[in-house]
Amino acid sequence: MSHPTTVAKTADQGETEKSRSNSTRQSSERERREPSSIELKGLHKRFGKDTVALDDVDLTIEAGEFFTLLGPSGCGKTTLLRMLAGLEEPDAGHVCIGGQDVTDIPPHKRSVNTVFQSYALFPHLSVRDNLAFGLRMRGESKTEQRRKVDEVAEFIQLGSLVDRPVDQLSGGQRQRIALARALICEPNVLLLDEPLSALDAGLRGQLQVELQRIQKRLGMTFVFVTHDQAEAMVMSDRIAVLDGGIIQQVGSPSEVYEHPRNAFVARFMGHDNLYAIHASGDDWVDTELGRLRLDPAEQREEQDGWLLIRPETLELNAENLNAENPENYNQLQGKVMERLYRGSHVEYRLEVEGVTMMATASNVGQRLLNVGDKVTVGVCPDDLVRVAS
Amino acid sequence: MKKRTLQRGLSGFWWLTLVFLYLPLAVVVFFSFNAANSAARFTGFSLRWYERLLGNEQIISAFWNSMVLAIVSSVLALVIGCLIGYGMYRHRHRKLGWLIVLIYLPIVLPDIVFGISEMAFFVSIHRYTGLLQPGLLTMIISHVTFQIPFVALIVYSRLVGLDPTLFEAAKDLYATPFKRAWHFLLPTIKPALISAFFLSFTLSIDDFVISFFTSGPESATLPIYIWGAIKKGVTPEINAIAALMIGAVAIAALMSLLFNRQGQR
Repeated sequence: MSHPTTVAKTADQGETEKSRSNSTRQSSERERREPSSIELKGLHKRFGKDTVALDDVDLTIEAGEFFTLLGPSGCGKTTLLRMLAGLEEPDAGHVCIGGQDVTDIPPHKRSVNTVFQSYALFPHLSVRDNLAFGLRMRGESKTEQRRKVDEVAEFIQLGSLVDRPVDQLSGGQRQRIALARALICEPNVLLLDEPLSALDAGLRGQLQVELQRIQKRLGMTFVFVTHDQAEAMVMSDRIAVLDGGIIQQVGSPSEVYEHPRNAFVARFMGHDNLYAIHASGDDWVDTELGRLRLDPAEQREEQDGWLLIRPETLELNAENLNAENPENYNQLQGKVMERLYRGSHVEYRLEVEGVTMMATASNVGQRLLNVGDKVTVGVCPDDLVRVAS
Repeated sequence: MKKRTLQRGLSGFWWLTLVFLYLPLAVVVFFSFNAANSAARFTGFSLRWYERLLGNEQIISAFWNSMVLAIVSSVLALVIGCLIGYGMYRHRHRKLGWLIVLIYLPIVLPDIVFGISEMAFFVSIHRYTGLLQPGLLTMIISHVTFQIPFVALIVYSRLVGLDPTLFEAAKDLYATPFKRAWHFLLPTIKPALISAFFLSFTLSIDDFVISFFTSGPESATLPIYIWGAIKKGVTPEINAIAALMIGAVAIAALMSLLFNRQGQR
């Protein structure tokens, strides 16, 4: 498949080997389970009469992958995750984890653990007892429970949190405890249901990095649910974009971002510059912007649909636009309508040929454009992407 | 200035309410320590009426009847009410409005109606089968019946206040249905259960009307004994029983409130 995935995998294999050599020393992690792959076949789910939560979903998640289910609320991503946990039964179809069909197996018999959006820490138990809950239910000995709690507390760096009552913890601390409580059971698959959505932006960014690091170190299969496309891109090996209970696209973050398969995915990944294609040839398209040249290699099967121009690919007032063959380079005339200063980069809302176009320019050594400035917009044919409707 | 007057008026009203609520109780407690034989004037402090209570076999037996009735009925009501409360919670998404009304009806039904129907019911069963002769057993059954809705309501409201994903977290963490009940559900609602027990206990001790209609000759409780005794006039002895009952019920009610609050924290 794609490059980033394979790179990530070799990296985490190295990590797993490191942790294995550690474990022989500690003799503690010797029973670390192998991560499991997941296969979903023809999953259907309906709530009530009219609400279709999942519509014939087929999906394969590789072992040891950080896989994200991305979509707006009500797209079916949480339902899908709950089916992996066993908390929701499909109306039709099969769920296979690690090659075993678990469709009819109840949640307490699945080697799968979940980090819930609300954290769901038991209010009647201390942090330590919360962490040990899964082990206790599986009937592991007291000493084993204690050892594993200490181990996970060190791994997630919980420090003195372990001996505090649950109601004295902050949101971020609860989040870490919830994660530790799921990890301590060493599941084949870890499910995360928007675990960061209740946290403020700073903490969130920090935990995104940490979660990703933990996943790589353990080499565990993570299935992560979010509605935040930026979060999905930062953390995932692969992303599945869902809408209306249907998987719209599966791919690496760069595939999904740079080559969205349809207009929904493009819009959801944050693209604004989509223009309806009226007519097209081998290396050109007609849109509201006029005729634009594009790279014949970018051809897709669908001739009609939308043209995607990513704001960061635009060149504003550049002097030497593709000096080799300037006649192939698209040049448009526009006007700055609005400027959003972001610090590291600047966003402009332009009006080009009477339609709105967003452009981003990195804030290095360039004179900032002002509202009302006339601007020449250079669009490289290689950067134009056709998107199905 | 106007606002201040209004506030003063309201606070005066509040105090007046308290006086009407508690002054009669205070009078009863006060005269239970009266040395004289009459309720007309206070001649000096004495515990003789309390001593007389301990010597009165009828009162002792009524006391034990009250205790057995209250404890046994509360325990039974706790078990059944807890199951009903959990059932109502589990099926809260289904349209069970009419069922819930049925469960709550005994709360609003006048005691006298409830008592008479229970009595008629027990009497006819006794006539045809010879079972359920009026006595402690029939009283326990009728008390359990009116306590159940209260227990169910307390348990239900505690469960509704919980994060529903807690149940899923317990499932997810390998707890079998039995272990979920034992290690998660019961400890989580424990304060509500204790609170419900004390409330049931208080209701049972308090009850006169329903007990009166369902009791037998041997099963008089304290309220029934008092009812019989005051026909001969209010004696300081009655005041002493009343004072003790006020104390017991106040403690039980306080416990109920305390545990309920602890549960909601």
